Order: sequence, then C-alpha cells, then structure tokens
Amino acid sequence: MGVLVELDRVSKQYGGVRALDQVSFTVEAGEWIAIMGPSGSGKTTLINILGGLDSPSSGRVLVDGRDIGPLSEKDLTRYRAEKVGFVFQQFHLIPYLTAVENVMLAQYFHSMTDEKEARESLARVGLADRAEHLPSQLSGGEQQRVTVARALINHPALILADEPTGNLDEANEELVVNLFRELHGEGHTILLVTHDSGIARLADRRIELAHGRLSQVSVLST
Amino acid sequence: MFFRIVGESFSRNPLRKWLAAVALVLGMAITTAALTVALDVGDRLAREFRAFGANLVVSPTADTLPLEIGGVDYRPVEEGSYLPEADLGKLKTIFWRHNIIGFSPFLEVPAILERDSSGPAIRTTLTGTWVNHSVAIPDGTIFQTGVLRTHPWWKVEGAWFDDSKQDCVVGAGLAARTGLKPGDTVTLRFARAGLAPLVQPGQTPSEERHVSMHVTGILSTGGTEEQVVMAPLAVVQALTGRTGEFRRLMVSALTRPEDEFSRRDPSTMSKAEYDRWFCAPYISSIALQIRQVLPGADVQVIRQVAEGEGRILTRITALMWLVCIAALLAAGLVVGATAATSVLERHSEIGLMKALGAPMGTVSALFLAEQLVLAFVGGGLGYVAGEGLAYLMGQAVFGVPATGRLILLPVILLLAAAVVLAGSLIPLGRVARLDPAPVLRGE
Ligand SMILES: Nc1ncnc2c1ncn2[C@@H]1O[C@H](COP(=O)(O)OP(=O)(O)OP(=O)(O)O)[C@@H](O)[C@H]1O
Ligand SMILES: [Mg+2]
Repeated sequence: MGVLVELDRVSKQYGGVRALDQVSFTVEAGEWIAIMGPSGSGKTTLINILGGLDSPSSGRVLVDGRDIGPLSEKDLTRYRAEKVGFVFQQFHLIPYLTAVENVMLAQYFHSMTDEKEARESLARVGLADRAEHLPSQLSGGEQQRVTVARALINHPALILADEPTGNLDEANEELVVNLFRELHGEGHTILLVTHDSGIARLADRRIELAHGRLSQVSVLST
Repeated sequence: MFFRIVGESFSRNPLRKWLAAVALVLGMAITTAALTVALDVGDRLAREFRAFGANLVVSPTADTLPLEIGGVDYRPVEEGSYLPEADLGKLKTIFWRHNIIGFSPFLEVPAILERDSSGPAIRTTLTGTWVNHSVAIPDGTIFQTGVLRTHPWWKVEGAWFDDSKQDCVVGAGLAARTGLKPGDTVTLRFARAGLAPLVQPGQTPSEERHVSMHVTGILSTGGTEEQVVMAPLAVVQALTGRTGEFRRLMVSALTRPEDEFSRRDPSTMSKAEYDRWFCAPYISSIALQIRQVLPGADVQVIRQVAEGEGRILTRITALMWLVCIAALLAAGLVVGATAATSVLERHSEIGLMKALGAPMGTVSALFLAEQLVLAFVGGGLGYVAGEGLAYLMGQAVFGVPATGRLILLPVILLLAAAVVLAGSLIPLGRVARLDPAPVLRGE
C-alpha cells in the first residue's frame, strides 16, 4: 500500500507554546496508528492539523499527495467533509437530532442525505434499532458508536479518533475498540489517540509524543 | 435536513424566539401604523384642514371689485358678470376630479329685511347658496355638495334650510340685532337697481320684488356671513332674475403641499415638466384645470391656508417616518441581541458543523433561514397588529379610522426581513469567524 499521509517537520506554535516541534512521520494507507503521550504533549494538535481543523506553523502535511497546509478556509472545509472522519472524546452529537439524523448531517454537509445509507451505517456499528433515539437516550458507548457511523458515512480516507474511549466504561470501551479493529480489518486508515497502552497495542504502530516532539515510533506488528 | 434543523431551533428556544418575535411584532406594528398613517395622513389631514375653508375661489373674470362694507355688498346686481351654474358639474370631470371634495356657489344681493310689515327695515345682504345640493355630473352621476362640504365648521342653531324650500338662515350678528329666531318669518325686499332708497328716476316700485321666508336657524361662522341672510341659491336667483347664475364659487380641493417645483411659473416649464406639474395635485394645477372647464372664470388660490397645510402635512409625515425608523431600529437591536445570544449558545453546535465540513454558506443559510422565519412571522403579525393600531390611531386622532393598505404587507415583510438581516449581521460575522478546533477541545 502507498503512503497516505506524510508529515514533514511539522511544527505548531501557540503564542509561546510549541505544541508540535518538527514532527515527521508517514502513514501508509490501511494502517492503524496509535498516538500516545502525556497530557499537553500535542496529540490533539496533531490530530487537528491532520484533520484540517488547524494549520501547521511550519512544515508540510501531505494527505493523498496534497499539501493541506496552504489550503484556504473553504478548501479545508471541503477537505474535512471529503477526506476525514472524526471521532471525538466528547462524542459531539447534535442533541436535538436522532442518531440517524446525526449521521445524515455529515452526508448533508458532504453532498446530499441518504437515509437508507445512514441506517446501514448505524447497523454497521450495531445500532440499527437505536436509529430514532436522541443522543440523550443513548448510552455513552452507543453515542460513540453513532459518531463512528457518522465518521464512516462519507467514506473518508482517514479516520481520526481523539481518545474515543476516554469517556467510556470498560464494557463500552471494548465495544468501541472492537469496532476500530473491524474497521482496521476492512482496510480503513486510522489515527487514534489513546492513553491506554492496551488499545495502543492493537494498532500497527505507535507514535509517542513528548513536549511536542516525536519521542518514539514503534512498530508493534507482531 | 435543512428544515429539520431550522424547525428544531424554534421548538428548542421558544422563550428567546418569542422575545425576538414580540420585539419584531411590536416594531413592525408601529411601523405599519406609522406608515399607514403617513400614507393616509395626507388625505386625512387635507380633509381635516378643509375645516379652515375652501382653498380656491372662483369668480367671473370681468367682475367688478365687490363693494362690501360690514358684510353687506353694495354692488348693484346689474354690475359685474356672472357664471353659469350649469357648468359646475364639469368640475368633477377635470384630471384631479376626485380631489375636488366640494364646492358651493354664492349669489349675494343687497336686500332689505323686514321682520313684519310694521317692523323696522334693515339693510342687509341676501346670500343664495347650496347647503347640500345634487349636482349632475356629465358622466351621469350625481355629486352632493354645498356649504356642508366646503364650510363644515359653520354652525347652525336650529336647522339648515332645505335647498328646495323657501326657507333661510339668519346670521348670528343679524339675529342679535333684530331678535330673529328660528320659526320666525322674514320678508326680504330686493330692488333691481340697488337699494330701495337709492331708486333711480324712471324706475317704478313695481320692479321691486320680495320674498317671504321661514327662518330655520341662526348661522354662526365667525365671519361676515353672520351679518347676512342665507337662503337657497334658487330662491335668490328667482328673486333677482339671475336664474342659473352665481357670482362666486368656493372650492375645496385636496392638494399636494406646495414645493419648489409647484411654485414655478407653468409657462416657463418644458413639456415634460409641464406634464409632471399638470399631473400632480398641486393647488396651482388644479386651479388651472378648473379655469379650463369654467370659461370666463378667474380662479384664485387662497394661498395662506394651502401653504400652512402643506407645512403641517410635511411635518406630520416626517414625524411618522421618524417613528418608523426608531421602531425598526429598536426591533433590529432586539433581534440582533437575541441572535447574538443564540449564536453564543449554539457555539458548540456550529463548531461541530464546521468540523464536519459544513460550508460557510450552509451554516449561514441555516442561521439566516431561522431569522427570516422570524421576520416573516413577526412582520405578518406586526402588519395585522399595526393596521389595528392605525385604525385606532386614526379613530382617536382624526376621528376617522385610517384605512388599511394591503400594499403595505409586502413592504412590511421586506422591511422586517431587512431589519432582521441587519440585526443578524454581527452574530453572523461571529458564526463566520468561529473556529471549530477550540470548540471541539471543549472550550
Ligand atoms: N489554541 C491553543 N492556544 C494556545 N495553546 C494551545 C492551544 N491548543 C493547544 N495548546 C497548547 O498546546 C499544547 C498541546 O496541546 P494538545 O491539546 O495538543 O495536548 P494533548 O496531547 O492533546 O493533551 P491531552 O492529553 O490533555 O488532550 C498544550 O500545552 C496546550 O496548552
Ligand atoms: Mg488532547
């Protein structure tokens, strides 16, 4: 498989804080990468830059061969809709929309809604019977599975998950982790931030950040 | 999806939406009322100001100056010229016929009043006019007019005479001098050659005519009419042998306030300017149009009244516009404030949408659609409430309810939309600048 993502000496400066410092690595298509590191080490910053939510202060970020650094606000928006599926620690579902509507929202911003496809996506994460529920009527694990369904709906090149199990209990954590394993098995490219080395062990590779620097890139493939 | 989100926003934030809606309804209601009144006020006030009297006076071109002392016209009847009553219907055929709201012909003759055969004779003027007369218009319709229209402030104690009867009213001043009261009978003598004591040699008393009339009321006008006897025009015409003729015509016309343009001399205008002038209800153009249908007539503008009216009209209209602007501004501010709160509250939602790749156009459209729904609901209700308010205002201030104008509805809706959009500009800017990354970090 070819290289999907390439970071070349990427730095991010927030005022006096250097959140990322000369970070370089590549991600192959279909790879599952676990990003680890202590709090404040720049994991979220890295995910945001990869997801087009933030721009690097210096360095290049190539996704599918295209440098997303110099993209305009409008092009970044398009990039997010087409190339990236986000899964957040806090789920970030729209509280007044049902599960299936939350999935359809991503379709709507991408192109047009397709309820059938949205339901299939929910079925894919095991929530076929929860489609009409509001987020408040779903458990944390179920909510997180809805966000996974939402992340998948537009067939993104890259799935970016920032501590997706951080707010879940063990049982739900396992459900969600299994989901990522399945996605990985289907060939999705995943970058997943986690504090849990158990989860990190499931990934193909592990990237460790410390003070914004890449401290370790380890291949964990057994 | 679009309507789902917009709809949800309304069901979730009823209180704030209501607040914004109420502000809009109030603002638009006041605007509607003020606009209705401003549009209506021209006509309405012009009608009100008619109480100050007719604003045009028509007299024969070749007439001599009236020899009037203390309300008594000492001019011999033979002198001067007269105008034909039969032409009067044509006044309602001119371009601005609908602005002619009334006219009253007058025929004044010197006469001698006798209370009864034994009482003292008093020199006075006998004035013939219409109280409420049916005039046949050339287009086949009938126009009711007379002093009730042109001089609505004239007060009669008792009753006006009937235009078709041989009755009269006596001016209050004259009545005070003679002790006449409603129910009395008076005789008025008229000498063809002027006043009886001045009978010319060669004229016999047999040429003297007289008429006996019933006094139906006492007339108070605040003017010289209080010294005369006023009777139906037909009676005076018959007495003087001036059948179908009159000497002076008072016309009440609704006019546009005078401006720079209307004060220009029409003969110096270009063709286009002349057409514009002619087709505007300026008092001068109406005067010209009257002159055109009444040959031999001279039309004078009672200028002072017309100009005073114009100024007050302009001021009231300006005031109404000011009220409009203030109401719109207030509504816009409230809408802007609620929209700003709304954006602040939905911060995370907007951030999420942006993170999911929602184009700025879509996010703005969602926000603006919501605001426009508000505008149309607020504008629509405001229009209804405003027309009601205008009705009451008209009733209270002018005694006549202002008439609603449906044409205002689209205007009001557009204004509401404009106000809401203007009020939403700053919040919308905030939406545009909102950075999703901090939102997703939970900030
Ligand atoms: N918008 C910002 N402005 C200023 N500083 C920022 C901003 N975003 C992040 N930082 C700083 O950059 C550094 C890296 O932050 P980041 O959120 O990437 O850390 P993290 O590894 O995700 O931490 P955690 O495990 O707590 O989520 C931190 O010191 C943080 O305070
Ligand atoms: Mg983080």
